[in-house]
Amino acid sequence: MSLTLALSKGRLLPGAEALFRRAGLPFPQDEGRRLIVPLDGLRFLFVKDTDVPTYVEYGVADCGVAGRDVLLESGSDVYEPLDLGFGRCRMVVAGLPGGLDYRKSASLRVASKYPRLAAAHFQARGVSAEVVKLAGSVELAPVLGLADCIVDLVETGRTLDENGLTVIEEVAACSARLVVNPASFHARRQAVTALVQKLEEARG
Amino acid sequence: MNGTNHSLLQVPPGVQCFVGEEARLRRAIEEKVVGVFEGWDYEEIIPPLFDYADVFAGGDLAPRTYSFPGRDGSLLALRPDFTSLLAKIAAGRLSSRPLPLRLYYSGEVVRYEPPRAGRRSELFQMGLEHLGGEARAADCEVLAVAAESLEGLGVSDWVLALGHVGVFNGLLPEEALPADRAQGLRERVESKDPAGVREAARAASLSPAAVEGLVRLTRLAGETGVLDEADAALAGFPRALAALGELRAAVDALTAASLGPRLAVDLGEVRGLDYYTGLVFRVYAPGLGFEVGGGGRYDRLLARFGRPLPAVGFMLGLDRLALLLERQGLAAPVPLPAAAAVAADDPGRGLAQARALRREGRRVRFGDGGAR
Repeated sequence: MSLTLALSKGRLLPGAEALFRRAGLPFPQDEGRRLIVPLDGLRFLFVKDTDVPTYVEYGVADCGVAGRDVLLESGSDVYEPLDLGFGRCRMVVAGLPGGLDYRKSASLRVASKYPRLAAAHFQARGVSAEVVKLAGSVELAPVLGLADCIVDLVETGRTLDENGLTVIEEVAACSARLVVNPASFHARRQAVTALVQKLEEARG
Repeated sequence: MNGTNHSLLQVPPGVQCFVGEEARLRRAIEEKVVGVFEGWDYEEIIPPLFDYADVFAGGDLAPRTYSFPGRDGSLLALRPDFTSLLAKIAAGRLSSRPLPLRLYYSGEVVRYEPPRAGRRSELFQMGLEHLGGEARAADCEVLAVAAESLEGLGVSDWVLALGHVGVFNGLLPEEALPADRAQGLRERVESKDPAGVREAARAASLSPAAVEGLVRLTRLAGETGVLDEADAALAGFPRALAALGELRAAVDALTAASLGPRLAVDLGEVRGLDYYTGLVFRVYAPGLGFEVGGGGRYDRLLARFGRPLPAVGFMLGLDRLALLLERQGLAAPVPLPAAAAVAADDPGRGLAQARALRREGRRVRFGDGGAR
């Protein structure tokens, strides 16, 4: 039975391709705008990175490659059996140096592309945070006074530096994960197990 | 202006409405499943649609329960599940009945739940509870009834994934962990995320052997041979081994009853830990991304109602079964015989004729309307 895999063409694509090739698994060459690519017994779906958990949760795809950042934000009911080891970065709270210590403030405003995750982070610390959802250029928010701090993904820290922001604390370490639909995991056990094993061996 | 009031036609999220063939398909599924329950000597129970909110308090569902004040100031709630109601009735009204009690239900439950991935605000559940019986036999019986229900519907390639909460619990120290720590670990084990388990375990300060055991749980899922692996991997944890022994007994019994090929073992199946106390299981089938149903042993619930009794039960979602059968191409509606048209030009004569046909068991269409 052929497995369907959901992948995104974003940040994680080169790492995913390299890993699949090392594992001796098929991986589509540059397919231009094709969104569904059947190849050697696998079917690849190319979707937006934040949609990967959704395709897998609904079982439209059996498996997928998603960043842990996206998984934490989506809260999807999927298995995450493998840390694929690439796409490493950190989810952090960042703000202006010498800016407010949120632990001492009664309330604060946080800008983020990850509103669910940001809200949960501050709620767990007993801080009442108003989360402003932005779609990009989040680093601007503290600089312009739209928010006291941001919750965002940091790879090298350069964007933060260039905008005069510093890391206040780490929320989570992130990397690419293999995600699996629970029903596929059991009802297509052999195919799924074989895929997990090959990827695990290639990851080392 | 066509006089339609659009704001009155709007539907709230999460509700459903079934018409004609959709409704008939659902009735047909319900009839088959309930027929299996009756066949195993379960008695139907039709509990109230609402009860005091206390009855449903404490569980996972409490925050998702629709509650409202009664006229006398008491807090009432629409039933978010059947099991707590059945436990209450078993402890109260049925308290003098000889044990075990075998009860089944079929009906709607209501939950505050944003619609997503097979979850709705209004769900139709068919399930049963086996109360006060010998645990090992009751566990096997309930699994066999679940299996027969799926067989009866003709679902292809379904899998019963069995776990036991005692395996996970047996790896944790006996003095309970702080709730948030245990919850964090549980979630990562449930997600089969070994990296996440290690991270969550750091916060919980567990012994290295316990951490390794928990990490192994994320991998101990698959054919029933997993049980041998688990025995070896968790040898240092007597409570986990005892749970594995119970799980193995159920697997052996079901295998002897030729259900072996349908079984999977999943030791990472740890949802509802504060509720389940033993064997847990879920039903999966290709074509539906989420489970069709599930259940398990819950020996602590009845004590809440003042009648401590061991208990095991399961539930199948009618909405999910209907969707699954449709996805698997098995949802062909049973065709009804054509209705005989009876003219109503002379209503008296027409009705007499229609009633005569009805007495013969024929379907009739009276008067105008033509073909649907």
